[in-house]
Amino acid sequence: MTAAATVAPQRVRSQLGHRIRIIAGVLVSVVFLFPVYWMVLTSFKNQVDIFTNPPTFLFTPTLETYIEYMSRADVMRRLANTVIVATGAGLLSIVVGSMAGYALARVRIRGAATFGLLILLSRGVPPIALAVPMFLVARKLGLTDKHITLILAYSTFLIPYVMWLMRSFFLSLPRELEESAMIDGCSRYGAFFKIIVPISLPGLLSTLIFSMILAWEELLFALVLTNRHATTIPVAIAGIAGDTVNGANWGALTAVGTITVVPVVIFALMVQKWLIKGLAEGATKG
Amino acid sequence: MEPGKPSGNGSVRVARERQLGDLLVRWSFMAPAIVLLLVLLAYPIFYTIDISFSRFDIATFGAGAWVGWDNYREVMSDYRFWESLKVTMIYLAFALPIQVVVGFGIAYLINAEWAGRGIIRALFIIPMVVAPVVAGGMWRMILDPLWGLMNYWLGFIGIGPLDWFGDPNLAMAAVIIIDTWRWTPFIVLIATAAMLALPKDVFEAARIDGCNWWSTLWSVAVPLLVPVIAATFVIRWLGAVKMFDIVLAATYGGPGKATNVVNLFIYEEAFRSLRFAESAAMAVIVLILTMVLTGLFLRASRKLEELF
Repeated sequence: MTAAATVAPQRVRSQLGHRIRIIAGVLVSVVFLFPVYWMVLTSFKNQVDIFTNPPTFLFTPTLETYIEYMSRADVMRRLANTVIVATGAGLLSIVVGSMAGYALARVRIRGAATFGLLILLSRGVPPIALAVPMFLVARKLGLTDKHITLILAYSTFLIPYVMWLMRSFFLSLPRELEESAMIDGCSRYGAFFKIIVPISLPGLLSTLIFSMILAWEELLFALVLTNRHATTIPVAIAGIAGDTVNGANWGALTAVGTITVVPVVIFALMVQKWLIKGLAEGATKG
Repeated sequence: MEPGKPSGNGSVRVARERQLGDLLVRWSFMAPAIVLLLVLLAYPIFYTIDISFSRFDIATFGAGAWVGWDNYREVMSDYRFWESLKVTMIYLAFALPIQVVVGFGIAYLINAEWAGRGIIRALFIIPMVVAPVVAGGMWRMILDPLWGLMNYWLGFIGIGPLDWFGDPNLAMAAVIIIDTWRWTPFIVLIATAAMLALPKDVFEAARIDGCNWWSTLWSVAVPLLVPVIAATFVIRWLGAVKMFDIVLAATYGGPGKATNVVNLFIYEEAFRSLRFAESAAMAVIVLILTMVLTGLFLRASRKLEELF
């Protein structure tokens, strides 16, 4: 009787604790998602509804801002530039980075470990230390304001990133796979491209998508290395947000911001399982 | 050389050739990355060092005459540089611990077992992939002193109106809030994965031994998580020292120089004032500071790992 009486409240209490945890967790995620929701909401307001006091949740949605900004040639062009640069940088880095990651994981090369350490260290290099010389060299070679320049600049942080993620991915594959392939007469290249790449496709694809996201949202190199033709969307957003002459144009900011964020969110949610796994492994093994 | 075995010599040579060929194949996996990173990463760093010891020649737009430590001396006596370093330190000193603690706290909350757990965890990816410059811009709108939602809500609990971007301390707080919003989800995702990987039987044993949740947390969970916490801290540090986009979009270093982090300061000096040599010197100083501190943090995290 006494035993039952002491056990029961404890269980009730822990169940209550469990429930509080769930509710608190949901509340916290609402708090974290709210700013994005507010941005998307604001992008459908017209100018009058944006500047209300108190801020309003109820209004007639309009596509006014989208129509105004999406029809502008410079916004479309910047969007296209961003797609080109993100795709180019992503593809270059996934090919070069995954081959190097494979070399670090499986191919025994003298000095590879040192190289791996150097690459890890390179993550500490402040981008501004690269932006200054890159700008000067690009200017000298007549390469400013070109897609290829941004693609190459982005590969400085994407290749190490891909290398590190794919290295741990390849390490998790059974060694017998390529050993048996090579006994069967495959060359090293054959083993890599015919056996390893196909079974690593989910990992490669997710890493590619995440690399593209990193390139998609990069600002510093884009600001420094482009000025008109190859400028990307983040530069446009920085310009809108920093417009102190006319005051920030919130309609433009939220509409262009929403267009920048939505595709990325969709892609990220598509690969979320691998993304979370990759993050966790990067943290524990990196 | 034995006369009876002429073929032996040949097969040795073939074997050696094959070995050499294999060596080339092995290196060819690594070579593209090495070449690209040498050209695009190592060379620019050396060029930065070169410029930092030279007078910048506007005519050729490159490194001019060697001036020794002059640029460094000038930069070191520039109070604005020190100010920007101080601002960066303040930002880091608040943002990093807050993000790690809040991140692991939220991870504990959202790891509660129920049907919606997977969805909640996936949703935490969203802030993480909002471009930092967009994050800065949209928070600037939310924190707007006049029309912003934040001040309106704070008004209900009798706070404010706060001049988020006019007051130096509040502007720094705003930057830290935005950065925390953008980056905590990253830590949450690492932390949830780490917590799921914790051995269940240890907690079972703690429960049977009658540990309350507080002692379970402090004597079981935290020690087990220390390596991950340390690693998360280092990764987040490597990201946070690059702080640029959010400040640029939200405050542009203002008011005055209150949130002018060092990266923004160097950027302005280089590309607005065209003081490339001085900027290069500052970039080298920041590079060395970052490397030394990263080394220290890595060391400390190894030590912590051994300790627990």
